[in-house]
Amino acid sequence: MTIINFKLNNDLIEYEIKDHWTLLHLLREEMGLIGTKEGCGNGECGACTVIVDKLAINSCLYLAIDADKKTIETIEGLASTDGKLHPLQQSFVDNGGIQCGFCSPGMIMSSKALLDGNPDATREEIKHALAGNICRCTGYLQIFESVEAAKHTGGAK
Amino acid sequence: MSEYNVVGKRIPKIDAAQKAMGRAEYIQDVKLPGMLYGKILYSKHAHARITRMDLSKALALSGVYTILTGEDVPEKMRMGFYKDNPPLKKDKVFSFRDEVAAVAAKTPEIAKKALELIEIDYEVLPGIFDPEKAMEKDSPLVHENTKSNVLKLPWKLHYGDVDKAEKEAAFVVEGRFTTTWVTHCCMGTSGAVASFDAADNLTIYTNTQIPSLAQKDFLEALKAMGLKNKRARVIKPIIGGGFGSKLDTYAYEHIAILLAHKCRKPVKIVFDRPEEFIATSTRQPTVTHIKQGCDKNGKLLFRDIRMVLDNGAHTSWGATTPSVMMMPITSLYRVDNVRYDAKCVYTNNTYSQAMRGYGNPQATFAIESNIDMLAEKAGIDPIEFRRINRNHPGDVTPQNFKITTCGLDLCLDAVEKELRKSGTKEKGVGIGVASLIHVGGGARIYKSDGCGVIIKMDDYGKASVFTGGTDMGQGLDNITAQIVAEELGLLVEDVHVVHTDTDVCPWDVGAHASRSTFVAGNAALGAAKKIKAQLLELGSKELKTTPDSLMLKDRLIFVPGDPEKSMAIDKLLRKIHFSPGGTMLVSDHFFDPINENMGPDYKGNMSMTYTFGVHGVKVRVDEETGKVEVLEYVAAHDVGQAINPLLLEGQVYGGVVMGLGYALSEEVMHVNGKNMNPNFRDYKLFTAKDAVKIIAPVIQTPDKDGPFGAKGIGEPGCVPTAPAIANAIYDAVGVRITTLPITPEKVLAALMEKKKNH
Amino acid sequence: MRLPQFDYKGPDTLEKALDLLSTHAQDAKILAGGTDLLVRMKKGLIAPKTIISLKALNELSYIKKDKNTIRIGARTCLADIIASDSVRKEATALSTACERVGAVTIQHFRGTIGGNILQDNRCFHYNQSAFHRSGRQACHKDGGKICYARDESDRCNSTCQSDGATALMALGAKLVLVSKGNERTVALTDFYTTDGIMPFAMEPTELLKEIIIPVEGGKSSYQRLAYRSAIDYPIVCAGVLLKASAKKDTIEDARIVVGAMGRAPLFLAKESSELKGKSFTDTKAFQKAGNGAMNSASTFAVHNVGSTLEYRCATVSEMVFRALQEAVAEASKA
Repeated sequence: MTIINFKLNNDLIEYEIKDHWTLLHLLREEMGLIGTKEGCGNGECGACTVIVDKLAINSCLYLAIDADKKTIETIEGLASTDGKLHPLQQSFVDNGGIQCGFCSPGMIMSSKALLDGNPDATREEIKHALAGNICRCTGYLQIFESVEAAKHTGGAK
Repeated sequence: MSEYNVVGKRIPKIDAAQKAMGRAEYIQDVKLPGMLYGKILYSKHAHARITRMDLSKALALSGVYTILTGEDVPEKMRMGFYKDNPPLKKDKVFSFRDEVAAVAAKTPEIAKKALELIEIDYEVLPGIFDPEKAMEKDSPLVHENTKSNVLKLPWKLHYGDVDKAEKEAAFVVEGRFTTTWVTHCCMGTSGAVASFDAADNLTIYTNTQIPSLAQKDFLEALKAMGLKNKRARVIKPIIGGGFGSKLDTYAYEHIAILLAHKCRKPVKIVFDRPEEFIATSTRQPTVTHIKQGCDKNGKLLFRDIRMVLDNGAHTSWGATTPSVMMMPITSLYRVDNVRYDAKCVYTNNTYSQAMRGYGNPQATFAIESNIDMLAEKAGIDPIEFRRINRNHPGDVTPQNFKITTCGLDLCLDAVEKELRKSGTKEKGVGIGVASLIHVGGGARIYKSDGCGVIIKMDDYGKASVFTGGTDMGQGLDNITAQIVAEELGLLVEDVHVVHTDTDVCPWDVGAHASRSTFVAGNAALGAAKKIKAQLLELGSKELKTTPDSLMLKDRLIFVPGDPEKSMAIDKLLRKIHFSPGGTMLVSDHFFDPINENMGPDYKGNMSMTYTFGVHGVKVRVDEETGKVEVLEYVAAHDVGQAINPLLLEGQVYGGVVMGLGYALSEEVMHVNGKNMNPNFRDYKLFTAKDAVKIIAPVIQTPDKDGPFGAKGIGEPGCVPTAPAIANAIYDAVGVRITTLPITPEKVLAALMEKKKNH
Repeated sequence: MRLPQFDYKGPDTLEKALDLLSTHAQDAKILAGGTDLLVRMKKGLIAPKTIISLKALNELSYIKKDKNTIRIGARTCLADIIASDSVRKEATALSTACERVGAVTIQHFRGTIGGNILQDNRCFHYNQSAFHRSGRQACHKDGGKICYARDESDRCNSTCQSDGATALMALGAKLVLVSKGNERTVALTDFYTTDGIMPFAMEPTELLKEIIIPVEGGKSSYQRLAYRSAIDYPIVCAGVLLKASAKKDTIEDARIVVGAMGRAPLFLAKESSELKGKSFTDTKAFQKAGNGAMNSASTFAVHNVGSTLEYRCATVSEMVFRALQEAVAEASKA
């Protein structure tokens, strides 16, 4: 057992973990944050994407122990405390970016990391940034449109 | 259509916000108090006899509650269309996918460890993996109690006189087309949680597309277990994608039930990704011989098709897909003389199931590739050839399908217009088109094609709608809410749709055959009409007017143009409720379309209406590597009336990209029955970077039977994609690829062969 | 999918890391980005008792440019290499190769250049779940005596699918390997064994510290073939380096390397030297080099990465040809 300290969606967390836990396991199974999904467990689908120190990473291949002293954002932290959706979330809702929804948290986190760093991302840059997030429902087009529309509604903040 | 307030509007998916926030609960997220974790052990061989099993080491592991084998499965507990498949196999295994033991343990890790400690000895038997070889006389038998590997399920129809038509034809072309295994790849893997109450009633959480039929299967399972007259309640969590994969009940559900009953605790089984690839069903592989002919003017005279389907080792609904293949075979374009023979053949491969299009993509690949060959031989432009033979409203096809509305001509126009926009032909670039017909008004495959809906109005102007229909991401909740809101003059947010629980929702045959908008939509409309009639009746008394002078709109009931005679709907509801002799407004409606079961000659109007579409594509072929790049894609569909264009486009885009995977990249690789690519790295789904631009013209031909004129559109997006691609490749570089997927390997090999012959 | 248990060590200096490695060498694995190692652990291909993580070892994350070399710390992540102007300019093949790896979310931010070079060889008979593999006799890499990819083979024929290694070998890169009290430099061409079981000629106590890329004014390029635009490993790839004559119209020196075709990237010495003195416009010579690549590769490549052997052999020549053309185009511009 090892104790780690990290910032999770603006909360300071101290947690006793096992060395072999992945960050995905810590978030989902131990902390009950079910928004981060396991789609494959091997870094091939992106359903488990979270943001660690501003970078989108697959939490299924990230050791929980390496989260020590890091800042972690998950899908649960995006909406404001008054319940208002983050502009990216709202844009995914409004533009048909969500069907079954299983890939959506990961898609939104990858998109957020992109727009946070590159508020004017082009269609090609969006495709590149989302290349590791698989969606079986939408054919991706409405997801691209969701990200593009969010650029102009404060999603890039 | 502008006269509607809610119908036809791009209203976001009702559950999207919940999903965007990561709050939606999928089967992965369901946890019950005291819940155990189940895991399944699969066969190590494609075909073998089990000679010894030793569970002692596994049972001795701390945290293991129980282990079940085929011995523990009640004799009558059987799954699938043929009921030939027990959830755990005894004595013999027939495919790698066969379940041989299952563990319930305190944690998933312990359950996994226990599987590793189970000892099983096998006597390996010769396997058969090629359906055509499996039909040969001396082939090993998959099921020893049968005389042949060919299922006693002959699909045979013969209309007109094909032989005579062939003699009269000016041009005849033949071809052999094959398709292989592809799989649904739902992002949310399969799973179930089974739980029994003190009186042995079952509650099962499972992501099924057929809650009512699943309930029936589970009740039969309980009966087989000796639990008679018990209740089975099916609760659907949010479903992480369906696409047909959840159209049967599976071993994992039955095993969860057996484990939960044995342990007297809830048991959860959830697949990991490799298991999802290996132990869920695929689309059926097919081998199709096709011959078509036309007269000198290009009029199609006959269509002659023989087909062999790889059934796998057990029989699920995959074996019934020829019933849907018959639809394009008899009714895509006008053709009077049709012959179709199909055989399903047992092999030691994985068994197949329903998948978006239900056989239609396989049949359409052969037909529409072959149509281009015929058009070429007749010297007619392929789009023109299709125009000559297109279906018309009012047609009755050889299978007795009654074509009501048909926008095939408009779809052809729309696709041609887009494809011809960009100028001259470059080297290695080509265009291709292919059309589709699909059921658009339900499909009577089962005894009933119906759906029930109950509407309950509360005191605050809100409607709770309990529907039998299933939303698995495609958006039926929206369609239901928009229809009800339109009819009752409410806003979409006033309508709460409940589809999750067989205890409160009425019967429905399931979310398949692109039927939900039409059938569940009509059921919702029927129930809403009954509420509306009550509102108008009771409102007319309050407002001292006649019911037929009243309108419902924007949460108000009123006489148009008379501001005095207006009242909020919620106020009216309270008046009705809280008056002496008061009443609550509740209505129900069961809609079963007047679709016909197919007769012994397979004739019968399967669906009240049919959806048509044309896909066009422009590709560039890299002649040195064989890689195909999709430059432009147009998918025009005749949808009747779009209830929600935003969701409609989502269905089309998603279907097209799934179809592109089918055409170009996806393949479950099997070596002697063993799955070699059970992961997203080696199973080639299109990524975001591979996504292509799609234009989706929506052709509206409001259908008199559809809710507000709508027809179904869930499946068509992936039906004609593969032949459109194959035709475009032929146009680009002159090679005809007849096996799916059209990988760079196949294209390059064909190009090299062509060079050699020149 | 969970990981098996292990002890985690997170040294914050190279010295501590080497100490740990010398103590635990036999049952430890080095964790850099984790995109290869953790996947293999989840599949049950390996189960190290100890994981020595380089996460805190920031001293191994750098790109340094001097007059004649670019030096890259082994723990530098692919995203940093992709973003580096000097790598793009002076070692274009590496920049392109890194861009092609996997997908941005994981491979670029997490994956490191050291990890990319040292990713284990792959074979679709071997890279399967423990249960899949338990259903048949073990192959060489799994501790047995069989090769499923090539009948009768006395050794493992698993394939090196590293984009980075192919590009780096074309660039003539060297590796700096350190162990407790020792440091050595080895050319990448000499870094491979001839057995896919342990494809790298390095000791268990050794750690890859640095990659040295000579920069002598050549132009390099990298081409790969894969089914999709992201996620996939290459099924064929090629890296080339060309040095132009003073007049910028003929080739003074060339290095051609093909990858994903065998146990290690293959430096084509003969085909490379045959290009010396050839004109930039001599496409026949490029085609000949491509055909040479095909002939060499077809003697040892096996059917084990999901594509057919015939196809990979047929396209490797085209990859070499395209890489040469691209490098020539750059060289004539410069």
